[in-house]
Amino acid sequence: MNCRECVDHLYEYLDRELTPDLEREIRDHLSHCPPCVEQYDFEDLFLKFVKARGSAEGAPPALRRRILEELLDE
Amino acid sequence: MATPSSPSPAPSLPSPEERRVSFEREALVHLDSLYRVALRLTGNAADAEDLVQEAMLRAYRSWDRFTLGTNAKGWLLTILRHLFINEYRRKRRHPESVDLDTIEPFALFEDRQQQDPQRAFFDRIVDDEVLRAVDQLPEAFREAVMLSDVEGLSYEEIAKVLEVPVGTVKSRLYRGRRMLQAKLYDYAVSMGYIKGRST
Repeated sequence: MNCRECVDHLYEYLDRELTPDLEREIRDHLSHCPPCVEQYDFEDLFLKFVKARGSAEGAPPALRRRILEELLDE
Repeated sequence: MATPSSPSPAPSLPSPEERRVSFEREALVHLDSLYRVALRLTGNAADAEDLVQEAMLRAYRSWDRFTLGTNAKGWLLTILRHLFINEYRRKRRHPESVDLDTIEPFALFEDRQQQDPQRAFFDRIVDDEVLRAVDQLPEAFREAVMLSDVEGLSYEEIAKVLEVPVGTVKSRLYRGRRMLQAKLYDYAVSMGYIKGRST
């Protein structure tokens, strides 16, 4: 696997969507390619950042109560 | 003489109480996810609450058709999205028309690598700004990014909710993420957190 192929699969790898074989090839490549590792680390950080910031907010408690009341009326 | 065996009881439908309890346990636990997605779709809290409430009610009414043990979150998000498309989006005065193919992918990494190896970039951007940037994405990308990056659905699950092939999910995620990076980058430059690309 070369760097180009490795980077092409970057998101699928981080999303855990690759076949075990391909995942292993990527891991092998990363084990001896610091530039690719750096790019992977950056994107990994980015995805974790979006997840953390994006899920900070939940449904308002009043909405939950309204729905529960509505279920009782059904 | 053998006594006739008593007839086996007919399979009983769940009582309203059992039904409600199972709905609360399997469906209502995804309320936060539904609300977050609704908020990004509608763009305001009041509409998001109405949308979620209506989606939950519809889900409850068809709860008997949902197979326990399958993906309740995806099922609920599908209901929510249909409701949004059919009832809420129509109200918009300016339906979105963006040619998704004309958008330039932007790789934040290549730029950041030049001047900010510590990635301090991320630490300076606040929650609101991330969500505002997500809101600016075209709807097709926004949905994919929310479902994957915030709600953690697999490509296959997202494909089902959005009713598109898995390949489309992948390309929307790729472009949506790159676009999100570009927006955050522009924001960080405008705030003076980082220096812009030299022209």
